[in-house]
Amino acid sequence: MNVLLIEINPFAPVSPPISLGYIAAFLKSKGFGVKILTLGEDASISPAGLQKLITSFRPALVGFSAYQRTMLYVIGLARFIKSIDSGIKVAIGGPQATFMPSDGFAQLPDIDYVSRSAGEQTLLCVARAVEQGRPFSGLSGVSYKNDGGIVQDTEELEGFSDLDQYPSPYLSDVFDYSRMGEAIMLTSRGCPHHCIYCYTPCAFKHKVMFHSIDRVLEEMTWIRKKGVKRFWFADPNISHKRSRIEELLDGIVKLDLEAQMWLQTRADLVDLEMMKKMKRAGVRTIAFGLESASERVTPKIDKHLSIQKVVEAIRLAQSQDIEVELFTMFGLPNETFEDAMKTLAFVKENNVKIMGNTNSQQMQIYFGTPMARHYKDYHIRPLNTERPPYISIGCQYETDHMSTEDIGKVQNLWRAHSLDRGRRIVS
Amino acid sequence: MDERALQRIFVILDKQEKEQLETLCRILSDLFFYVELTSNLYIVAEDLAAGMPQVERIQKQVTSFLRENLFARLYVHFIHGAPQGNTEQMDFYFQYYYQNWKRVTMEFDREAYMHQEVPRLMLLPLIAPSSHTNTASLADLLGTLKSAFLLPSLYLDWGTFHQAANEKLLAKAEKVYYGPGNNSEKSAIVCSLCHENIIHETSSRLDAHPASMTEPCPAALIITASDGMVYPCADAFVRKKSLANIYAAPHVDTLMAQYNGYFDSGTDCQACRDRVVAAFSDLPLPKGATHELSDLLYHFGTLHQEAQNHVLAAERYEKSLKLSPAEEAVPIHFRLGLSYLNTGRYDQGLESFGKAKAMYQDQYYFHFYTGLCYFEKGDYGMALERFLEALDMDPQQDDLVRILIYLGTCCNGLGDYEQAIVQLERAKHEAGQVKEIYNALGFSYFQLKDYDKAIENLKVAVELDPYSAIDYASLGANYRERGDMDMAAAMYERALKLDPDLAVARENLERLRDYHG
Repeated sequence: MNVLLIEINPFAPVSPPISLGYIAAFLKSKGFGVKILTLGEDASISPAGLQKLITSFRPALVGFSAYQRTMLYVIGLARFIKSIDSGIKVAIGGPQATFMPSDGFAQLPDIDYVSRSAGEQTLLCVARAVEQGRPFSGLSGVSYKNDGGIVQDTEELEGFSDLDQYPSPYLSDVFDYSRMGEAIMLTSRGCPHHCIYCYTPCAFKHKVMFHSIDRVLEEMTWIRKKGVKRFWFADPNISHKRSRIEELLDGIVKLDLEAQMWLQTRADLVDLEMMKKMKRAGVRTIAFGLESASERVTPKIDKHLSIQKVVEAIRLAQSQDIEVELFTMFGLPNETFEDAMKTLAFVKENNVKIMGNTNSQQMQIYFGTPMARHYKDYHIRPLNTERPPYISIGCQYETDHMSTEDIGKVQNLWRAHSLDRGRRIVS
Repeated sequence: MDERALQRIFVILDKQEKEQLETLCRILSDLFFYVELTSNLYIVAEDLAAGMPQVERIQKQVTSFLRENLFARLYVHFIHGAPQGNTEQMDFYFQYYYQNWKRVTMEFDREAYMHQEVPRLMLLPLIAPSSHTNTASLADLLGTLKSAFLLPSLYLDWGTFHQAANEKLLAKAEKVYYGPGNNSEKSAIVCSLCHENIIHETSSRLDAHPASMTEPCPAALIITASDGMVYPCADAFVRKKSLANIYAAPHVDTLMAQYNGYFDSGTDCQACRDRVVAAFSDLPLPKGATHELSDLLYHFGTLHQEAQNHVLAAERYEKSLKLSPAEEAVPIHFRLGLSYLNTGRYDQGLESFGKAKAMYQDQYYFHFYTGLCYFEKGDYGMALERFLEALDMDPQQDDLVRILIYLGTCCNGLGDYEQAIVQLERAKHEAGQVKEIYNALGFSYFQLKDYDKAIENLKVAVELDPYSAIDYASLGANYRERGDMDMAAAMYERALKLDPDLAVARENLERLRDYHG
């Protein structure tokens, strides 16, 4: 049986969809035929091309990565696929799906499953059910609709705590290397922290799971052999375990991989020794989450990170000639226009270039986050009460301290100071 | 090749019959199935009032397609001349035409708001003013359009480039397109829009995959509504090489098969890219755009140089130099110097090399090429200096031999035959099987009256190149001087057999016969 996995984002260049890659490698190892289709801003495919793909590959199951910004396209593609063959089952997973309310799912007529648990196990469970011709029997980790269209939830499915149990998407060759400019790595999953705006800790229940360093180095060596030099580590906090990051960096140096790396971590998880090792290993850019540079705001977001720590981390990186990116947001609880300006001033004072990921963005309120669950407690006022229930508040809100106009003004000021007109890479 | 999804469709409207418009709409509707998920439709009309009813009819097809396909996005660019008149009249145009046009997009604006997304249907006016357009009124119109999220762009050509000096106008334009011509002719506009896109895409290729220039440019179709002709690219449009006629009722599947087949039939897309870049470089473009063009011109210059087309290479480098920032000009000067050298323009070559000196003077080949310019000019003294400098810089083996040969030849030219022999014997030691070494040594030894040595070397020269008439003639001269007249005559005869026009051989042979019967 064939499974087609699709990632669509018309506003971003195509990059290896790492999460779909893991699912593809896992399903492949269980005997399914799998294809990944990435539809980015530079993807050259037409409806005719899509139709041809569907009719030639004949997937019995199609899985989508779903994000708030891509929901419309996911809905459209699901409808298109069903119009070609109404027997094809469609599942969605990813940040928008995990905590999507049931009434949201109920309004998605062409979506059959919403994945709520670890993607690999959940989609395997669905794929096996579809293969056996009983697509809604014996399921776990998903919500589905019964014959009456009523949403049914199933038991949660635990993913592997040892990530090495998942086959590598790179070593399984599920990606096309011919035009890959950069490899996305995910050496760990999850985050133990409690930042109120973030989806990741909630989705992983504040746990962190790891790949072994041997496995990561094996993947990197393979990717280098394929001619890809740039690595983008998507781990939320790559230096969560000090001994582990040191082992990784030492390994990269020992293998002489000549890699160029981007990575992100918390500012309180780095020191000078580590930065030196990062530099030696080929780290070009390190990104820290600042969020806000206002002492009035930071206690309210439960990040538990002092602004001074961020200053120190920036200095450490800059002392080693490593480019720094800062993730910041505006429209945060308790934040006034003046607070937001402090963040902009902080970035400039610390000589961090306002471009790429350092372009600030308005806080997004996504399903599953403490902010989405308790927005009233944070004095958030949603603006669009008619939005479809599969779409979260997102950026359509104002706060007791900032009006829509204020938020717009902050956005324009950031854009005015941006070196690349505000084009952010990570959302 | 793989089936290509269309990025752009251009429709040039005319005063076609209602029936023809319906056919055009049907074809467009079918073609949308072959466009990329995010694509562009350019509709070009003579003027706003005449074109708008047709645009609104086409727009019905667009909205129908987008309603059906929620994953698709379409930018509709309506290109027309600037309405004439004062601000009030412009305002009337806005109220009467654009407002109505905008109304149909409201459902997509709402959909976008609900999904916190950019609208899937964007209407983008592109205005081509004439030299008589009132700039202040036009700026007001652009401002009004912008405030209604109808993001306007401008098209300027030779007749209207002066409008670019108006900062207020430019600030209100989302984008400014530039093109040749001076009367905003519809087909010229379409070509310019295609060409600008080709330039950006070529520039991206240069960054990511410079070897892929032979691949076709972004997929586009051009349809002329007046006669129904469909063209597969701007180059085919210029050459009037159409694929089909939509009024002859072709099936769109067949049309697209013909389209894909067109690029399998040996189109020279690299040459087209080169022509487009060269043509655009003559326009008075803003600074940002010229830098990109300069890089492209330099790249195509190198391609011409590799293909030994030094005249075209020099043209590209000269244009590249005009558009390049001063700090990036040095490599262009160097390449231009090479092109001049290869086209016999030695003084210009020396001037260009002189401008590249700061960056290249540590490279032996820089001195070698400079020396070649002097050598070809006949200035053996200066050439000798440059070649000696190159020799001191540890050149690569192949080049070392070339430098030694040129050094020997310079010494011969300067009458220093002993020194010539030193350099040429070294060349022989480094690479024995090069004819030019033995030829030059033959000359040196002849001049020193060491005829045996001269004959010894020239014999090797003719062994290496049995068709070298001049070496046989040289052998003849050496045998004559040694007193072996039969051998001398035989060598001259051999030379003349190979090259009956070799005067030196003929004259010497005649003299020999006259003298010795």
